Amino acid sequence: MKPVVKDVNILGLANTIKDWLHARTGARFGLLTSIDGKQLVTLVLDPKASAAECWISEVSDNTYKTLTTLIPQSHWFERSIYDLFGIVPDQHPRLKHILLHDEYEPTFHPLNWQEMGKVGDKTDNRKKTPILSETLSQEKFVSTGAKREYKFLQVRGEGIYELPVGPIHAGVIEPGHFRFNCFGETILNLEIRLGYTHRGVEKRLTEIHWRKASFVAEAASTDTACANALAHAIAIESLFDLEIPAVAQALRTVALEIERLAMHIIDVGGLCGDIGFSAGAAAAGCLRGKALRMGQMLTGSRFMRGFILPGGVRKFAHQHIASMQKNMQDLRKELDELFELLAENQAARERAEKIGVISKSLAEEFGVVGVTARACGISYDCRQHFPHGLYPKIAPPIALQKGGDILARTRVRIAEIRRSTDVIESVLQSITGSEHIIKLSNDLPANQTGLAVVEAFRGELIHLLFTDGKGAIKRYAIKDPSFNNWTAISIAIRNNLIADFPLCNKSLALSYSGNDL
Amino acid sequence: MLKILSYIFRNGIATVANPCPPLEEDADGMPALTENSCSGTGCNECATACPTDAIEVSNEDGVGRVSLDLGACIGCQLCIDICPTGTIVRNRSTRLAKKQRDDLILTNHESVLANSLKRSYEADVKNKIRNIFGRSLHVRVVSTGCSACDLEIGACGNPVFDLERFGVHIVASPRFADVLLVTGPVGKGMRDSLLRCYAAMPEPKIVVAAGSCSITGGVHKNGYAEANGVDKILPVSVYIPGCPPHPWSIIHGILLGMGKVQS
Repeated sequence: MKPVVKDVNILGLANTIKDWLHARTGARFGLLTSIDGKQLVTLVLDPKASAAECWISEVSDNTYKTLTTLIPQSHWFERSIYDLFGIVPDQHPRLKHILLHDEYEPTFHPLNWQEMGKVGDKTDNRKKTPILSETLSQEKFVSTGAKREYKFLQVRGEGIYELPVGPIHAGVIEPGHFRFNCFGETILNLEIRLGYTHRGVEKRLTEIHWRKASFVAEAASTDTACANALAHAIAIESLFDLEIPAVAQALRTVALEIERLAMHIIDVGGLCGDIGFSAGAAAAGCLRGKALRMGQMLTGSRFMRGFILPGGVRKFAHQHIASMQKNMQDLRKELDELFELLAENQAARERAEKIGVISKSLAEEFGVVGVTARACGISYDCRQHFPHGLYPKIAPPIALQKGGDILARTRVRIAEIRRSTDVIESVLQSITGSEHIIKLSNDLPANQTGLAVVEAFRGELIHLLFTDGKGAIKRYAIKDPSFNNWTAISIAIRNNLIADFPLCNKSLALSYSGNDL
Repeated sequence: MLKILSYIFRNGIATVANPCPPLEEDADGMPALTENSCSGTGCNECATACPTDAIEVSNEDGVGRVSLDLGACIGCQLCIDICPTGTIVRNRSTRLAKKQRDDLILTNHESVLANSLKRSYEADVKNKIRNIFGRSLHVRVVSTGCSACDLEIGACGNPVFDLERFGVHIVASPRFADVLLVTGPVGKGMRDSLLRCYAAMPEPKIVVAAGSCSITGGVHKNGYAEANGVDKILPVSVYIPGCPPHPWSIIHGILLGMGKVQS
């Protein structure tokens, strides 16, 4: 997909965005970033028209007036721009480091070309950038060379205590820090600090040749390997004018749905585990294995790594199609059995009902996506709107719920598992042909913008890239669905019991690495 | 309750009896090298294609030599698909873990003698560890990466693989752990936390690196986050290659650390 690129004045940018969004029903604020530290890039999406606009706004003096006060969704985007580019959003209500921790030099902004120069260039001719520190007022930024530091929001009052959790969690999951302020067992405030798994994925994507880049894009969050590889492929393909073979489109769709199936199953299993329904958790573990096995039949790898490439897919294992269909039928039956057990489980219902409620207005304000959004009644599924694989042509109906609680999210997830099995079955039946990849030229077109919007199992995944005058990728931006949703959980968990947090967290199934990149 | 019991009985035992079998026919697995000589630097296709620069090609006495570092390999299959001389082939074995970092570097001109010497040295170490960890092992998993390895470690605990039958327990605190199982490339952000976790473990303790990221940094190596693997900051006893490693490979790696299986 190719976005319309235009220049927009940075003065009044927030209002321009608001007006644009108001003028179109269902329009969305996609992402906010920069290319090299000299400008802001705003991506706005109009799902109904399958269209996107990319606005470039020049930034002078490394600062601009924050958008967060008018567009709350941009608050983490602005923090990450501050970390990666050193551009300061003036009057941001809570400007903190989000990706780069104390270990990094205070003046280190890895994606700011003016400062960092080329890779490995050690000469210190960087201009000084503002640094946040305790002594600074929000209005006046001066460079002090102070160490990066992070200050959690303080909640004071009689009987209020602070509970730090992480970055290493009790379970086998990615790292992140949760700071709870509680009164008795009730959570008053939760602040989430991420960035522990920051690996420099976006920078790496501009350092290597684009043919090798899909493996790095997959590793942005390997549980979402297919969706990331697909988004990467579409973003690259959108620079050329070409048609991807029908077989490749069909296989990409199947792969994407197998990934959704496998991850949704394990998320439902995790929920079973957290409420003490071990039989359900064990069954879900086995059933996820069966879904992964189908992925392996299709691609040779359980996580379907290296399968989707720009131009098509790596291979077409037509000899396995019949056994995949058979597996799918068996899996569907077994899943139904498990869901029936879960639906009848009174304990599951009681633990999930009216807990961790995310209201529709909150979800809209913070641009929440995926299962979480659909569980509070927001009818947004990229498969309906943006071309990827065989979508939007064969997009399944949107699974919607209204409650916004853990129960609603679980119901959406289960409905989506069923619809994914339908899609996989029908696509597998209709595959004809053999050409599965076309060759792309080694050189990308110069000065172009490529975009992909894909419905990953967590929701809207955006890849946006810019090529320079020689056709090399000068900026590769990834917006993982979790980037929108992390804020939702910290607000939704307020006034809930601390014991309900793990379950609530599991029901949102967020990615740490996709957020940290 | 009765329904759940009936469900459990109807589904029977899912656990695979013999651990660490080879992968199924439809799986690609990791690469292996045959002794076929290759066309050398004149070809160099595999080294050019490799996304993690895991392959080096050279010419020695007119014969093409390849060395492939499984510690950096992400199993993308590009080199296997491209190799014209059949030097790089598929390997469906799940017994890939090694105790020495160097053993992960495959060549098509392996010196048999040098390897057997290494093995006998290894045997000594193994006996020592077996005495300490022979029966049961508590593992603290620390993730510093992208969650694929963590999901596969999670899968090790499911009824099919059933890690617990080997006496291995995944625990929630380093205080009672014998093994620190690290996944991910250990970028700057996680370094301090990981060291503190290691320091909190009682002696004797070993570190196991699971996944190519944790061995070399994988696709992330040599970036500004200095995510180049766990052995840059902690001594590693077992390396489990793969991206992510198959659950059987992870189990094999842990059993190798316990001295219950051979390399």
